[in-house]
Amino acid sequence: MSEPLIVALGREFGSGGHEIARSLAKRFSLPLYEKNMLEAIAQTRELDVEHLARYDEQPKNRLMYRTVKGFSNAPGDALAQMQFQYLREQADAGRSFVVVGRCAEEVLRDRPGLVSIFVLADRDFKLARTMERGAETTGEALAIMTREDRRRRLYHDQFCKGKWGDARNYDLTVNSARLGIEGTANILAQYIHARTSQGEADKP
Amino acid sequence: MLIAQVSAVAIFLTMFFLIVTEKVERHIATLGCGFLTLTVVFGLCMRSGRAVLEALSLYSIFQPNFWYQMGAATTSTGINWETITFIAGMMIMVEGMAESGFFRWLCMEIAKLVHYRPIPIFLTFMVMSAVLSMFIDSITVILFLAAVTVELARLLELDPVPMILSEIFCANLGGSATMCGDPPNIIIGTSLGYSFGDFIANTGLMSAISLGIIVIYFYFCFRKDLRSSDRTGQSRSCPDPKEAITDRRSFLVSCLIFGCAVVLLITHAQTRLTVSCIGTVIALATLIAAGPRAKGILMRLDYKTLLFFMGLFVVVSGLEQTGVLELLAALIGRASGGNAMLIAAIIIWGSAAASAFIDNIPFSATMIPVIKSLAAVQGADLHTMAWALSMGTDIGGNATPIGASANVVGTSIAAKSGHAISWGRYCKVMAPATVIVIFISMLVIFVRYF
Repeated sequence: MSEPLIVALGREFGSGGHEIARSLAKRFSLPLYEKNMLEAIAQTRELDVEHLARYDEQPKNRLMYRTVKGFSNAPGDALAQMQFQYLREQADAGRSFVVVGRCAEEVLRDRPGLVSIFVLADRDFKLARTMERGAETTGEALAIMTREDRRRRLYHDQFCKGKWGDARNYDLTVNSARLGIEGTANILAQYIHARTSQGEADKP
Repeated sequence: MLIAQVSAVAIFLTMFFLIVTEKVERHIATLGCGFLTLTVVFGLCMRSGRAVLEALSLYSIFQPNFWYQMGAATTSTGINWETITFIAGMMIMVEGMAESGFFRWLCMEIAKLVHYRPIPIFLTFMVMSAVLSMFIDSITVILFLAAVTVELARLLELDPVPMILSEIFCANLGGSATMCGDPPNIIIGTSLGYSFGDFIANTGLMSAISLGIIVIYFYFCFRKDLRSSDRTGQSRSCPDPKEAITDRRSFLVSCLIFGCAVVLLITHAQTRLTVSCIGTVIALATLIAAGPRAKGILMRLDYKTLLFFMGLFVVVSGLEQTGVLELLAALIGRASGGNAMLIAAIIIWGSAAASAFIDNIPFSATMIPVIKSLAAVQGADLHTMAWALSMGTDIGGNATPIGASANVVGTSIAAKSGHAISWGRYCKVMAPATVIVIFISMLVIFVRYF
């Protein structure tokens, strides 16, 4: 792969997507873009990052916000467009990076160096991880998982032609429960190495 | 007839559902539902070709009265081609003005005249928003005003939100003052045969009184936000207003055409030119003056909004011709006990409450046959109810971020610049302002017409 490497990682809640993304970013010495994008955007535009964070990855509530002549007044929509713009600018500048969520696999679809991945997991695996992160009961954990996945799905499908988690929209879809977080990261790293090597081999 | 009524209501509610949820674009929603009204309600249920013809109302375009008012103004049902022609004409004129840089120049010029001081900008932009919206649709006014406000706010290191909110309110308020300001007024005026002067003398008075009070209200709401950043206006170099003008010749011509439009509208009761005639003349003048750019202007015409209106009128015609709206009028009549003042109060407050949450254009189009029925059956004064409906639908939309299109555009521009406005922040200031203006309007109606 002669182009800059961009790893776009979508994930189910509790599947370990963030940890896997961090591991990949470390292995390939790449910056990781997730919530920290807001700080960069806030700095560039001289905005309050806490104000922006309230609307990060928030789907539009169609009862509370409208679109008129292409102008949507949903705060989440405006922030999403800022983030998409930021990702495009990074890619245009020739930078390699790992990005979590933010519809990156669709926004950067036309970039040859893109590797798009979706991480899912078995319910019990995600349940256990969610309980580790502070949910006190199984019921609470399940509610959090359902709510967060629903939010991500609505957010993603609002901006993307492809559906969230649909294997046809990603280069690779992987169940992190099978090999665990580290094992999954290893496999994904191997895949990315293979893609980059293929790119080098394709060089004239 | 019961099946026809149920079908008409079901189609109407479906149309509203589709518009609110934005599952499809709104013109698709109204056109689709309009088609269903023609085929299911008029065709299958009523088996009335006449109802279809009345709904399409194509014959009206070929009547002399469509272009020049001869005799008393007539009211009509079905597609209001006068509204659509007028709106299309004004859209073309506004495109020409925008292309020449008129709106941006005007905003920058005013800001320069007040030496870029925040509070004078705040006050003058509010008044400018109201005055421009009397003749130009409030969406266009806010589109340019909010964009310039964001730009100036960045240069002057201000929070643009207070200014944008007050500009939005004043745009809707100014639009309520005239026949051509807000689409509900255009619909009310053309459907009931009112002139520009009729609106100025009635809703214009209420708007003028309200504007004075609302400017003071917003000043007290936001003075701290603006004072804390009040500087001499020299913080960063502000753009020269002349730079906004893209082409001097087309700028002067568009100013001239706009001036002519204003004169024609103000005098149309005397000249007896209808608004559709004025809209057509203005559009032709703009296109001829544009020369080779005419095609571009036409391509940018918001035909989706025009199609939206066509479909909407057909669906409302379905409710009207099946007698559903008469039933609604009877309900209001019963609720008010035939008390004319109470009817007016129900209309103005009911319209305001509804417009806060649902699109005021379909609402006003639906209410016109209702008030006509109330006038015929209950003996309530049609004019009084028309002004109540106008103020209710125009001003009520101010109460929430989704109540009027100008609100959506203004808050969207604020959000794009990183200043998202939550429902809480919006309603905290705008809802009380809305109540104040509706209350003032109701008082004026009671004092003046009863």
